[in-house]
Order: sequence, then structure tokens, then C-alpha cells
Amino acid sequence: MSAQRVVLTGIGVLTSIGNGVDEFTTALREGRCGAGPITLFDPTDFRQQIACEVTDFEPERWVRHTPLEELGRASQFSIAAARMAMADAGLEPAQLRDRPGLVTVGTTDGEARELDQLVESEIADGPERLDPTAVRRLPAHRLALSVVRELGLARAVPSVLGTACAAGNYAIGDGLDAVSSGEVDYALVGGSDALARRTFAGFSRLGLVASDRCRPFDAEREGLLTAEGAGVLLLETLDSALARGATIHAELLGYGLNCDAHHPTAPDQESVTRCMALALADAGVKPADVDLVSAHGTGTRTNDITESRAIRALFEDGPPPTVALKSMLGHSMGAASALGAAASAIALSRGFIPPTVNHRTTDPECGIDCVPNEAVEAPLRVVMNNGLAFGGNNASVVLGRYEEASR
Amino acid sequence: MSTAPAAQRARGPVITAWSAVSPYGIGRAAFTGGVRAGERTDAPVDPETWRSPDERACLVPDFDVRAVLGKSGTRGMDRVTGLAITTVRELFAEAEAARCPVPAGEGTALVLGTTLGSAQSQHDFVRASYEGEKPYDVPTRQMPYTLMNCPAAATAIRFDLKGPNSTVAGGRMSGILALGYARRLLATGRTERALVGAVEEYSRSRAWIDRHSRRTAEGQPDPRLGEGCAVLLLEPATGEPDADVPDASADPARTPLAELLAIDIRADVRGDPTSTLRESVSQALGDAEVSPEQVWAATSGELPGPLGADERRLLAELFGEPATARGRGHELLGDTAAVSGVFQLTTLLARAAEDTEAADRFAVLTSVDEDGMIASAVLRLLAQDGGS
Repeated sequence: MSAQRVVLTGIGVLTSIGNGVDEFTTALREGRCGAGPITLFDPTDFRQQIACEVTDFEPERWVRHTPLEELGRASQFSIAAARMAMADAGLEPAQLRDRPGLVTVGTTDGEARELDQLVESEIADGPERLDPTAVRRLPAHRLALSVVRELGLARAVPSVLGTACAAGNYAIGDGLDAVSSGEVDYALVGGSDALARRTFAGFSRLGLVASDRCRPFDAEREGLLTAEGAGVLLLETLDSALARGATIHAELLGYGLNCDAHHPTAPDQESVTRCMALALADAGVKPADVDLVSAHGTGTRTNDITESRAIRALFEDGPPPTVALKSMLGHSMGAASALGAAASAIALSRGFIPPTVNHRTTDPECGIDCVPNEAVEAPLRVVMNNGLAFGGNNASVVLGRYEEASR
Repeated sequence: MSTAPAAQRARGPVITAWSAVSPYGIGRAAFTGGVRAGERTDAPVDPETWRSPDERACLVPDFDVRAVLGKSGTRGMDRVTGLAITTVRELFAEAEAARCPVPAGEGTALVLGTTLGSAQSQHDFVRASYEGEKPYDVPTRQMPYTLMNCPAAATAIRFDLKGPNSTVAGGRMSGILALGYARRLLATGRTERALVGAVEEYSRSRAWIDRHSRRTAEGQPDPRLGEGCAVLLLEPATGEPDADVPDASADPARTPLAELLAIDIRADVRGDPTSTLRESVSQALGDAEVSPEQVWAATSGELPGPLGADERRLLAELFGEPATARGRGHELLGDTAAVSGVFQLTTLLARAAEDTEAADRFAVLTSVDEDGMIASAVLRLLAQDGGS
């Protein structure tokens, strides 16, 4: 079967700067920052106490058929984001119920937050007294399975990809292939992670957490802010979207995956360039055609230098504007690149570049235009969205503004 | 050592090599020997080493990461990562010994299934945060091991695997999910070949998690937990070169052992897992254009408890006792969770290699879990003349 064009017709997001596509769009345009005091675990005695939490989350609004106590926070997020994406696409679960589908959720930590709490109670009461209901929330595959069961998607494949902080892009790529080949009629793909003490403690000890704000590409950047969130995209073929008169946010043009096979935590510049080149080749797009890069952009010294060098190596005639959404959203781990893809689609359809906020002076070693602090109106045609992960798991996704003429 | 005859031309991707680290020991020969002997593998769990609530479990014998892999680059390496690296090492070494080495580099993907990664590594890390003098007193060297992608990523570093490197967190469905995912990577030409497998470690933390989440009925014996890793080499079929992927096809030096024909994965959304499984098997058979009487072996996931028993009964009803008897054996390795699906398959492949009647007949794999996941796969077994 020849490959079909795949479009994004539904966006569901939960973030520290706003939930749902409309609020998220406004927040991106305004350059909101989601940083705030940590409330989801006790930050006493940590050197930094700031993170980006999802506020105004009422799980009972979204979870209707599953007992809430069976779901960890990351699974509740993925259900909420999936429902939002379907509503945004103008679809009812019943319309997809008997059609072959793929529900792939990327995650770094799965329900790590649940394990954090279980370990705390084990220290207090011993391993014999753990709450079975809480223990059953742990398996990572529930992040996708819970969506499928809650929405009653009888023919959907529930799948979770644990490729750390690039997992959202991995999921989107897999959905693109499954829809494009005709293996499935639709895909709900993205990422979800809830704020976990374990991750915060690790990054804190590594000296990678900023004290107040995340400032990617800034000369005085201190590091990342841990965050939580979820982004789920509804993908379908162009023919399907046109047939039902759906609003098309963007077309998915292609993606690239590779592995550094080099170092457990430090990214490899050449390999990152190669991943982006793979994505552009898959999309059939030349570097000169890329109007915007949504960088992984964590705000750590190493990532931002390595990634910006990798970008400059790819764009021989100078890189396009390169923004870091983590300045607003924090690092939402497995959700990060899914939220990056959602923001890229919004940027394409609404014609603006979301800014890199909290910015003071661009690090000359980075040498890119990060569109500081203020959104810029721009008619974008092609955006590349990066996700890089510990373990050298790289994934880049290329999105294009939907245009009727086939590329 | 020949290309497949015309009658065996395959269209789906083919499995051309496999290896395993299991309670039978390290490597494919140990696994094949274990399947042939058909003996139980459970043994007492050393209380001092493990401080586990389990009295018995099915462990990889004498598996000490640094003893097996050497001291270089293994300091602090957790068990699940060691199991994955050792399995891929064995697969590469066995292919080398058979004079058809598997290339590494950019053309080789690794797709590895897991439940949680290492529950123990995660547990120890956050416990340090609660018990340290300061909450950030955590062992940062261990941080990569808290991530689910560590076994796949560390294996890539060790063997220079620069293709797509994907971790599928599928619990008991990991094997079939990983095959489905890798099949898409091959079909789209994103990789020339894929190492596809799954890994599960034994640990005290896993033992407690399992104990609390288990739903076996009162009065039934506790299941024995098992561990290990199994990895298959999946390549595009040689039969019909894909115009879009001109260079990608199985190395003719390797004998295809089985062809992946169909996969169906779904969730039980109406509280009737057995009927859902029946539909899933029926869908997979239909997609593969295989009728039940053509099925030589049917293997269930051997989930402990009544749900697993229902699964076994359904397969016996659909395919008959002789076929399900040929599909058994991997339960001797204990409840191997994430790696159970791949162990189902490697057990079948080991058995098919010793039975000439298996050639050009079909195998059905199924798996169910307590959360409502359901998976089926249909494969064609190919003549393993001469083996590899």
C-alpha cells in the first residue's frame, strides 16, 4: 500500500501554562511561564524548590468510566489529553470504537510518582503493608491502556514507549507510520509524565536544576526546571480528514530516529545532526525550507551548546529561528516533545513563533536566534521539533502547514 | 545455509536468529538444551543476597553482571541492563560463530520490551532521597538505570547500535508489541534489520510489587517469578524486494526460521477478556489467511491464575490439545512477565527445529494480562535445515 498523507486534526494538552488547545495557544502567544513553588511533593531541604506543575486539573472531569483510585496521575493525564484531542478533532469515542487504531503514549517515568509514594510508605510501615490498589497503578503500559479502556476503543492497540525524554516524538513517529501505511485508521499519540520526586532529586544532585527560571540558550542559564504534563495528538489520513470536513492543524511530513550509542547522559553532536537530517529526508524537505526549529532546549549548559551546534551543522546557510518551549513549560520529560509538536502545529496554523521566555543575553556559544521573550507573527510552512534523551535516544519530527497541493 | 526455496518465499519480516539468557543458562544452546530436557528451573532464593519474600524463583544461574560481562564499563550496572547486554552479546557471538555475523551501526535497530525497567534501581534511588541526610543525596551514577530505556541504550553503546533504539513498555505484551513496532520500522525502511526482544529482572522490589498486585485466587500456590532476556533478529523477507527499500533484505547466508504473518493487539473494553481474546485470535488468523487446522503449535502466555487458565482452555478449544502441548514449556522458566512473550516464541523455535513436521506450518502466540491487555500473533515456521 502506498503511503498516504497524514494530518493532525486534534490536539489535547495539559501543561503548567494552560490546559486545552485554546488556552495553550493563548499562553504560547503571551509567552507565559509555568514555573512555581513545588506542591506535589515536599520540597523541604532541597536546594531548589521550583517546578512547573499542571494546575486546575480535575481528573473527574475527564475520567468517567474508570475508578479514579485505579489510575496514577500520569494515566489520568493521558486520559484527559486524549479526550481533549478527540473533542478538538470533533470526534466522539463511539465513532472510533470499532475502527483499527493505535494509542501510543511516550513517557520517561511512567507512574514514578506512585512508586515514590510507595517507597515512602514502605520506609514507614514495611513492604508487607503496601496498598495493593496503589501497587497496581505502577505498570507503565497503563498510560495507554487506560485511555483505550476509558474511551472504549475496542480495536485500538495500546502501546507505551519508554524512550525517556524523546518518547513523545517516538510515539508520534510510530503513529505516523501506522496511519500512513493503512495499518490503522487513526492514532492517538503523544506523551505523559507526572512530577516525580525521584527525577527532581536526580537532576538536582547532578546540578542541572535552575534556582528560579529556565533560560535556554542564555549566557547565564542555570539548568532545567522539572515539569509535568501531557500532549496527545489525533492523527488521520488527509483523505479521512477531508471527507469529514475536519479542521487540519498541520500535516505530519516525516520523522527521524537514531541512537548515539555513545554516552549514557551526554548527547553526541554529530548524531543529533544525523537524526535531524534523517527527519528532513523522510519529510522530503531541504534544510533551507525549514522555517522554525522547536529545540529540545532544556536550558542545561551541555544540551544547549551541543544541540545548537548540531543545528548549525545541519543548516549550512544559517539556522532558522530556534525556540525552546521549556522556558515556558519546564521539562515535562516524556510529554515534552509531544507538547513541542502540539505547539509546532499551533504555530503553523496560527502563523506565529512562540518565544523563548526568561531570556536576557543569548550565549554566543549557542549562536542561534531563540526569538527572545515576545512571540513573533510569521507565516510558517515547515517546523522541525526535536526530542533528545538520556541514552542517546534521538527523535525529530517535521510538521508542515497543510496545503492542498501535494508535496 | 541456503536461500529459502520458492515454496517458502516469505512476505512478512522473518526471524533469522535468536538468543536468550534464561534460567536455563546463557546463550541459545543452553536454552535449546533446557527446552529439550523440559525440567523445572525454580530453586531456593538465597535470603542473604536477595532479602526477598519469595522462597523459590527461577533465576538465571550464577548471573553476576560483572562476572559475566567483565569489569570494564559495568560498575554499578543493574541486573536488567546486564541481562540485555549479555543476550545481545550472545546473539552476535553465535552469528559470528555460524559465519554470518550481524552488522551493527546505523542499519541496526534495537527494540526492547520491559515492564518498568528496573523497579529495584528506581526503588533504591528514591529511597536514598528519603533516607539521605539531604533529599538530593541520591547516587547520580545510578540515575540512568532508573530510566526504562537504560537496557536498550546501554546495549546500543556496548555494540554500536546506531539505528532506532526503542523501549516498549508493554508488560506481558512486550514481546508481541515489540514485534509489531519493529515490523513498522522495517516496512518503512527506517532500519535494515532489528534486534527485537524483551527483558525482565528478578529483584526484591519486583517480588514485593508482584506479591501485592497479584490476583491469583486464594489457596492457589504462589507463582514462581522468573527472569531473563531473549532477542530475535528480524529482517525483511528475501522473497519480494520492496521497491521503496532496495537494500533491505535478509542476509541470504542466514536461514529464515519463521515468518511474522499477523499481529493483533487490543484491550478488553467490556469486561470479557476471553471473548476479546477469541476475537483477537480470529482477526490475526484471518489477516494471516491461516485456518485453525493448519496451526502446528499454539502457545499461551501462562499468566498465573484463572485468567491464564481460560486462555489455555480457549487455545485448546480452537487448536486442539496436540497443538497446545507443543506450545507449552516456557512456563518452566517461571512467570517471566515482560519477556514471557519472547520466551514463548524462542521455546517454539527451539522445538520446531527438532521436528520436521513443523516446517511450513503455523504457530499462534497469545498473551493476556490482569489489566485487560490482549495480544495474538501468527507465524509461519520455516524449515530449519542445517540450522545456523
